[in-house]
Amino acid sequence: MSKPSPEVQASLTRRNFIARAASGTVITAMGGGLLYTLSDRLTREAKAMTTIDGRPRLPPGQRALEALRPMGGTPGSPSISDFRLKIHGEVDKPIELDWAGLLAQPQAELELDVHCVTGWSLLGASWKGVRLADLARAAGVKPSARHVIFEAAAGYTANVRLAEALAPDVLIAHRHDGKPLARPHGAPVRAVVPSLYFWKSPKYLSGIKFVARDEPGYWETRGYHNHADPWLEERYG
Amino acid sequence: MTRLRPWLRALHRDLGYLAVGLTVVYALSGIAVNHIADWDPNFDNYEAQHQLTLPLPASDAAIADQLLRELAVTAPPTEVYRSDSNEVSVLLEGRSFHVNTDTGAVLEDGQRERFLIRVANWLHLNRGKKAWTYIADGYAAFLLILATSGLFMIPGRKGLIGRGGLLVALGVAVPVLYVSLSGGP
Repeated sequence: MSKPSPEVQASLTRRNFIARAASGTVITAMGGGLLYTLSDRLTREAKAMTTIDGRPRLPPGQRALEALRPMGGTPGSPSISDFRLKIHGEVDKPIELDWAGLLAQPQAELELDVHCVTGWSLLGASWKGVRLADLARAAGVKPSARHVIFEAAAGYTANVRLAEALAPDVLIAHRHDGKPLARPHGAPVRAVVPSLYFWKSPKYLSGIKFVARDEPGYWETRGYHNHADPWLEERYG
Repeated sequence: MTRLRPWLRALHRDLGYLAVGLTVVYALSGIAVNHIADWDPNFDNYEAQHQLTLPLPASDAAIADQLLRELAVTAPPTEVYRSDSNEVSVLLEGRSFHVNTDTGAVLEDGQRERFLIRVANWLHLNRGKKAWTYIADGYAAFLLILATSGLFMIPGRKGLIGRGGLLVALGVAVPVLYVSLSGGP
């Protein structure tokens, strides 16, 4: 049998290469798809659940994760000696709490769902801290207050409507998942506002300011939604 | 136009050279920040578990000493405190240890800086403000000049009236189609 001409050989080699590359691509894609499907069991389960008020537990466009994901930002000091929390603005008695002062407040440990604007949600994780409503009561919020401005490290701020900030599930948290808050998640203290996208829950919290007039914060002035309701997909302004 | 083309090419070439550094910064950081939901583009965050030998000493300071000795940590702690009734936290630069005083189990969490990409992100997001705003504006103007001068550099069928025009239309069509098909903002 005669040897194929160099042109035929080249064609066979090319054909071989294309066939192998195509098979490789299909197998990789199928493997990736299978992995994605299996790993997304949490999302499927979450989609089948509803909240007490009848809303789907997982807001539209979200995927459930097993652990909180670090989302960057300029870190603050994790030191409890450096920690101070100012509660000020439209209040009768401005308060400044240090670490011991925060721990001396009534503590609450809640299982909360949080939803990041980038598309992930963490459902039912444990958070421990002080209810913002309790701090507001201690400071004596004036009737003129309409919004809460969270103040955090490096000048980060986030605005939340007063009624939403004073909901019983809004925490000034120092523990998550049974552990002290980790550095990437805002140690020593962060806000947790479960009803809004998670950028409204600043890490490295340093202040809570009650204001009469709204003050859009860091992301709100950079094109993100001023309100940020995950169930209405209020991602961008 | 024929007389202008050599000048356009020279301008395009030199602005192109000038733009290389910032293009690398913005492109790398753009990719990094675009995938912020999948990774922390500034820090490598980690958690680790360790076990201390029981029984643990009574005082928090002595527990911290034992922790550092057993884990061969030479850096001095910045803070040692009781983070819970059965938990002592030991903070060091860039890492924290949380010791369960009942079981001796230690949870470590820490952050290692991704230096170059963090610097690029800092510049890209203009976190430093001040003079960088002018530099970034200048770079944007450079890019506009590069894009515009590129349109007219080549005459004939490979230029704007031929293949170049087709490619420009294709490039413009990508965002237009994306916005139209996705429904936009």
